Amino acid sequence: MAIEGADLIKAAAFLGAGIAMGLGAIGPGVGEGIVGGKACEAIGRRPGEAGLLTRTMLVGQAVSESTGIYSLVVALLLLFVV
Amino acid sequence: MGFGAIGSGVGSGFPGGEACLGIARQPAVATRLTTNMLIGSAVCQTPAIFSMVVALMLMFMDFGSLPFSPTWAALLGAGLSTGLAAIGSGLGGGLAAGASCGGISRNPDTVGQVTTTMLVGQAVSQTPAIFGLLISFVLMFKAFPETAGLSAPMALLGAGIAMGFGGIGPGIGNGLTAESAVKWVARNIEAAGELTRTMLVGQAVSQSTAIYAMVISLVLIFVV
Repeated sequence: MAIEGADLIKAAAFLGAGIAMGLGAIGPGVGEGIVGGKACEAIGRRPGEAGLLTRTMLVGQAVSESTGIYSLVVALLLLFVV
Repeated sequence: MGFGAIGSGVGSGFPGGEACLGIARQPAVATRLTTNMLIGSAVCQTPAIFSMVVALMLMFMDFGSLPFSPTWAALLGAGLSTGLAAIGSGLGGGLAAGASCGGISRNPDTVGQVTTTMLVGQAVSQTPAIFGLLISFVLMFKAFPETAGLSAPMALLGAGIAMGFGGIGPGIGNGLTAESAVKWVARNIEAAGELTRTMLVGQAVSQSTAIYAMVISLVLIFVV
């Protein structure tokens, strides 16, 4: 079987998409967990501020999430555009 | 299997260590702590068991009749998917179990609520490993048409890598959230409802990255 150039590029793009999303998900997953954990700690100390703390937690997690979304976008680009 | 054992091995160590510290602090609750430690460690072991199941299936099932070309990549991907995803869930489950042993030794009256929160938190931490297992099964049992090119096998290998690595972060992250929630349920039992709710919201967001990884895996397997 002969492997042609176009096929090789597609193969690399598919493998690259997997690597991008896989490794890209590690950071946000851990980071959001840290935010969630600290929010629980703070609510445990001051249950009265639960609403404000939950809001802050979600904003913090959203920022941390953005790197995961970058990976997702790059993976989708590699899959469907390249 | 090798990767899968890393997380569970380290993870099971957390409750063991915390239980020893706790027994030293409060010898009177030794029995309760030991029970709690064993429950927590048992849940930590499940990702390793998933990896072992996948490893045994890969070794003993007969794949000889399948076409060589995409199957090699599908099977390699199946091993990577569960093996790597199990690292995070094993560690995460261990963090929650360790915190619960610490909490019970500090405040033995909260044992029921603490164990419940620990199990809920561990169950959520477990989900990335379950996603990994799901992708492994799809890769092992779906019939792939024979191909001469390189792109189809690489898509399947990529699917395994995406889900495997993608499961590590959310598994650890969910565990970190559960760890704090369990610790603070033990210290402030009145806030248990609020804490469980916040824990689940926080874990849901952390989980979303595992879901992205699963989506990319499924796209790589079924669409491209």
